[in-house]
Amino acid sequence: MKRMADQFKAAVSQINRRHIQLILLVVTLSLLVLGAGAPGVGSGPGGM
Amino acid sequence: MILLLAVAAGLTAGLLRSWAVRQPYQTRDLNLVWLVFAAVLPQMVAFHLPHTAALIPDQVASWILVLSQLGLLIFSAVNLKRPGFWLLLSGITLNLIVITANGGWMPISTETVQVLHPEHPLSAWNLGGRPGHSKNILLFQDQIRFYLLADRFPFPDWFPWPRAFSIGDALLAAGAFILLWKPDGKSLIEIINTTEISREN
Repeated sequence: MKRMADQFKAAVSQINRRHIQLILLVVTLSLLVLGAGAPGVGSGPGGM
Repeated sequence: MILLLAVAAGLTAGLLRSWAVRQPYQTRDLNLVWLVFAAVLPQMVAFHLPHTAALIPDQVASWILVLSQLGLLIFSAVNLKRPGFWLLLSGITLNLIVITANGGWMPISTETVQVLHPEHPLSAWNLGGRPGHSKNILLFQDQIRFYLLADRFPFPDWFPWPRAFSIGDALLAAGAFILLWKPDGKSLIEIINTTEISREN
């Protein structure tokens, strides 16, 4: 029983770690392309 | 914002790829991630948040843009061994060259804005200045240094947002896609071979 619980905990922590890594990668990459890219001019003469 | 489509497409493709080969979507930690946050935060304040962008003088904003891109350049250089980063580094470098050569702004020509917004006459635009709080400067084509690297390629008419992109932007999009498509750096053949070997054992 204890072994199963340990296995479950290990699996959950691995999933969480993987999810956090993925989220961090996506956020980092999104900021990178937003910061480094400069496609223009979107919304007309007064636009962003 | 439009470049986020490349991030979304790469992530979707990467998740589908890992599902197809029945392998978990493996990412690897990147180096100096804090530098991306530190470099982009001032840009958010100077360009993306309308209330703060209005308070920042153009000269300061152009310095923020150049320094921020330098930070991103360093980040890409230290992660060059990761998939897609040579494209990201090339894209940032090309954008930084054209921005630096044009006074700290990404140039866009009058011809390009007329293709993007034929409904606005040229007189409605701030010639020689920034359209709104954008990263662009509007110039005649012959005034632009490194015109090849400027925002000069309009998206097709069917695209919902009228925008023009540079070669650097295209490389950035490709790099982001590749990094999310194969964050483990393994080719599909490599993965299939590894899976077959582990099944045989």
